[in-house]
Amino acid sequence: MELDTETQGVAKDGSNTQGVYIYQPAKPHGERPSKRRKVQPENKEQKTESHLFVPLLDGEENESSIELRYNAYQQLWSTQEKKIQETLNDVDSEVLENVLSFVRSTSHQTYDGCIPTALITVGSNVSSLGRLLSKLNDQLTASEEGGVVILESGDAPNLKATLKNIIRAAITNTEGNDGYQKFLTDREGPRLLGYDLDLLGDYVKRKGAKKLVVAFRDSEAFDPNILIDLLSLLSSWLDRIPFTLLFGISTSVELFEGRLPRSSVALLRGRYFEIHGASNCVDRMYERLQADQNGRFWLGRNITGVLFEKSNDYFQTPEAFSRTVKYAYMTHFFANPLAMLLSDEVSVNRQQVKLCEAIRNLPSFRRFCEHLLDDASPEQVHSLLENDEFLFQQSLKYIEIGQQQMRGIFKAVKAIHLCLKGMDVRKKSTMSDLSIRALSGELQDSTYMDDLLRGLKTLNSSMLKEFLSFMPQDLTNCPEFQEIKSDFKALLQTYQGTEPLRSEYDSHNSVVQQRVKLSRGKAKLPQQNIEYTKVIDRVHALSERYFVETLVRPQELFLHEAFLLDMKNPLKETFSPRPRFAIERALASPFDYLISMSDRTEAKISARQPATAILYQLYLESGALVNVYDLWQAFYAVFESEQGNACDERMTMTLFYRAVSELKALGMLKSSRKKVDHAAKSAWIGL
Amino acid sequence: MTDSGDERPVSTPKRQRTTTLNGSANGYENGELSVGASPSKRIKLTPQKPSAATPVALKESGLKTPTQKSRAKALFSTPTKATAVSTPSRARNADRSAKKKSARLLLEQDDEEDWDGADRLAEEILQDEDDVTAAENGNDVVETVEAGDEANKAAQTPKRRAGRPKGAKNKRSPTPEGELPAHERYFFQNRAGPPRTSNNTLNKISLLTHEEYFEKMAQYEDPCKEEKAFLLDVHHRSFPQWNFEFEQGYNICLYGYGSKRPLLQNFAEWLYQKNRSTPPSIVVVNGHTPNISIRSIFATIVTAMLGADIPSKMGSQSIEVLELLQSVLKSRSSQRPITVLINSVDAPPLRKAANQALLARLAATPKIHLLVTADTPNYLLMWDISLRDQFNFVFHDCTTFAPFGTEFDVVEEVHNLLGRKGRRVGGKEGVEFVLQSLPENARNLYRLLLTEIISMFDEGHNSDDELDGRAGRDGDGKDDIGIEFRALYQKATEEFIASSEMMFRTLLKEFHDHQMITSRLDPSGMEILGVPLPRDEMEGVLEDLVLS
Repeated sequence: MELDTETQGVAKDGSNTQGVYIYQPAKPHGERPSKRRKVQPENKEQKTESHLFVPLLDGEENESSIELRYNAYQQLWSTQEKKIQETLNDVDSEVLENVLSFVRSTSHQTYDGCIPTALITVGSNVSSLGRLLSKLNDQLTASEEGGVVILESGDAPNLKATLKNIIRAAITNTEGNDGYQKFLTDREGPRLLGYDLDLLGDYVKRKGAKKLVVAFRDSEAFDPNILIDLLSLLSSWLDRIPFTLLFGISTSVELFEGRLPRSSVALLRGRYFEIHGASNCVDRMYERLQADQNGRFWLGRNITGVLFEKSNDYFQTPEAFSRTVKYAYMTHFFANPLAMLLSDEVSVNRQQVKLCEAIRNLPSFRRFCEHLLDDASPEQVHSLLENDEFLFQQSLKYIEIGQQQMRGIFKAVKAIHLCLKGMDVRKKSTMSDLSIRALSGELQDSTYMDDLLRGLKTLNSSMLKEFLSFMPQDLTNCPEFQEIKSDFKALLQTYQGTEPLRSEYDSHNSVVQQRVKLSRGKAKLPQQNIEYTKVIDRVHALSERYFVETLVRPQELFLHEAFLLDMKNPLKETFSPRPRFAIERALASPFDYLISMSDRTEAKISARQPATAILYQLYLESGALVNVYDLWQAFYAVFESEQGNACDERMTMTLFYRAVSELKALGMLKSSRKKVDHAAKSAWIGL
Repeated sequence: MTDSGDERPVSTPKRQRTTTLNGSANGYENGELSVGASPSKRIKLTPQKPSAATPVALKESGLKTPTQKSRAKALFSTPTKATAVSTPSRARNADRSAKKKSARLLLEQDDEEDWDGADRLAEEILQDEDDVTAAENGNDVVETVEAGDEANKAAQTPKRRAGRPKGAKNKRSPTPEGELPAHERYFFQNRAGPPRTSNNTLNKISLLTHEEYFEKMAQYEDPCKEEKAFLLDVHHRSFPQWNFEFEQGYNICLYGYGSKRPLLQNFAEWLYQKNRSTPPSIVVVNGHTPNISIRSIFATIVTAMLGADIPSKMGSQSIEVLELLQSVLKSRSSQRPITVLINSVDAPPLRKAANQALLARLAATPKIHLLVTADTPNYLLMWDISLRDQFNFVFHDCTTFAPFGTEFDVVEEVHNLLGRKGRRVGGKEGVEFVLQSLPENARNLYRLLLTEIISMFDEGHNSDDELDGRAGRDGDGKDDIGIEFRALYQKATEEFIASSEMMFRTLLKEFHDHQMITSRLDPSGMEILGVPLPRDEMEGVLEDLVLS
């Protein structure tokens, strides 16, 4: 190690040989990297000493705009976060209630000396248990009834350590770390060891705790033998310490029971709870975020796709979902100068030359201008292009309009969702499916829409009534709708029959018998049913028009770049990275990363590439077993052929050594005993 | 055998050039002529004959490095080659392909006849078809094809000439390897059969020592210096972004090829520069440090927070220190966030699941900003969904191409890979130096050990087949030769070197500590003791021991 630092001169203060150290800045000496960076912080320091956002637009964004962006982000996200939190609380609240009342109502007396036990199956929704337990703990400590000790399998390597952890966690939970130390030392009589349950008994007596919940978060991962010992020990202390056990189970209760011997199972008695899957929760969160009545910023279809893809594959807990959403918001406000337009405080006098220039460069601006030209208002286009002030004004106005339209879209989506649910169409529709289609502007032509409109015609009068109540406000407020509604009401009042009214389209029902019955009914065709059919027709026409109007393509809205974020990346790269791909690419075609200063494009192996990349490419062509000598010869030949006589064999060998050691460290080469001086290949590119 | 057979198809078309360089290439020339002279006959020959001829070629070409150099140079001068083939006569083309084919046949007969005759036949047929179509297409087409082929070959020659048969396999295979999808390539390269690699060993070259490695490394001038600096600069530009991510409660994981240690160093410096008035607390961890413990990481973080007034007793378990850390953070509301930078979180000392779980808990602690770097391609497998949840990582591709200079001991790693651990002792001199400082008894024991092993070498040569049985290790099986523990103990007591097993073990331990002996378990569970030195050095040491 010392040799390393000496000869390479990398370590400045021996920090490379230290495992852990507190960073101290090196004395500024004439190194190139530090020199370069010195320029950057200096000009930043004056302006945005404490600011997290950097100026955009080539660094010419002024401070107030940065401020606006930052504040807009803070404000927007805090409201969204509140919604997410509410949803999360709401989802678990029922289970929490049940578990809490179970914990409160049971004791070893009520269970004839058995340990009260709650079994909670969580399925794939792993994170929910942690949430539940921390809430349970809050409730119990707040009411001074006791507390929750959370154990993970890592905390239980053996019985002693497990007990010690339980005791320490129970005491520090209310007393803090100092309290625990004090508790250990400030005692009369002989000092007790850390794993003596007497300590815990003492603590319970002193605090008057009535419940002590011991929760096993990942019960499957615990060693059954330790668990058996622990259970028998806890049950013998039950008269002094009021334990309640709680097991988180990811598989099934039967499997859990099967792992324990009967004698241990006989010590437990309790109830079984179930936490529902995460997908429902994620759907609800998404709906609350996107379809909010006062929404100002939306996630586009690509992002929605990424979000749900992961959740549906169970690769993501609801928390992770919300973090991903948060990150999307962060990227938008961090890197998009237009985001300042979303701020509440933005006003006409905030305009900036650069920002206006940026707006003029938007694709949506171009499209907007083309529209205006088609509508024969070239003066307006002219002033948009020439007059910054006018442009800015218009931008603010159109952002407002755009946001209005986005809200409209989501209202419509919500209504469609409800209606489809009410009509029990064959295909299940989820909010996320519908939203994805709406966000890509395809909902209008989708089968969902067909189903809805076809279903609409076959509604009978009582269902229609329900249906009308689902309709979004934008629609119900229009006079035509009011008119239809009053006609419908009048019709119902005159109708006295017990059967709901049916339209003539109702005969399209699939059930044959019904059709027989109905065709007979149609033959008669009472006057009221004809009237009803007319109402249905009007509703149909009106809603169709409404949906066509509302469900525009969001990408066609002017300035959608400001209020709609629709980029798969960086989100996808940031949360589901492909490290193996990245490394393979770096080694297989190093000049993807090392952007050449001079323009030489080399597809083939050459000595100009980093040594490891050369070796890797040679390695790629080898079979499962590599002769290291031959590999070395091949490697050497690459250098020799380019450098000729100037090629230093020992130097090349040094590079070879470095490259081999790196491939080994990357897990691509391992030693093989099959043949002497051979190495085994252990990674194939692209698999 | 494979080696020489492999070389031929490449070298045949270049015979002209080789002959011009004749002076230095005599040994090689012989081998080639023997094959090239009568291609048509060769095809029908039995496999034994060529293989009888080849060892000569192998040895001579293998030993004469200058020959190889000059040939390699010739092979790599691609432009000249193109002109050389620009006007090939049809006859020459045919001649060449015939030669190629014959050489190929020889090669296959050598090592494949016994197991994939059918496969070979199919290849042969396909190859024939290729030739026929080429011939039908006429001269022009042949020319262009050949030219392309030639260039291609020039690029590949280094690999093939060095006797790596998969190059030859490319040529032989009906589907060129370059166009294979990834999974097909996997199966292609993992086909059943004996390993088809040459028998060359590294004995022909002298391996690097630590000193030489570092000496050379110090002189090395990186051709991609500018590009790497530029890449690093790109990463520097995301420092404000990382900072923002920290503030928003995310932790960061950097991945990609290259050491990220300098980058982290720069980031720490940047954080310092940014908040010069109130310097942030930054803890840096080097994951590759051997024997690093999670507890020491946690303890250092506590020290960083509390400064002088750290509690006298932090607890011996890492979990206790972590809880102390968390309670301190909770109780001190004004505590500024601590930034923890972990280099190589996937390094072997930290890789264990228990360690990762503890780190995840650290990461989940508020006010701890954790930035880790990961070097291996599959590091994500360390974390399951709940750990990922606790870590709350955002991932950034930070490929730096920086060498892993300080992360691990390059020379040691390579020698480990090759199973040449013994180089470490410092060879004969090192062993002798250690022996001088040991008591008489120990020296006697070592002498005994050496005597036994050397005598076993001699026996071993008599029963060669037994050695071959051992996974194909022939001449170089020295590493594996050793004496059984019990037997050595027996001998030692007979010679009054050790009176009890305790004492015997104490003596052995001394050798172990200086890596003067190796110890392994053989399949039957017996402990085998060996000496990590080549035979001649062993003899030298023994001589000195006896003489002194």
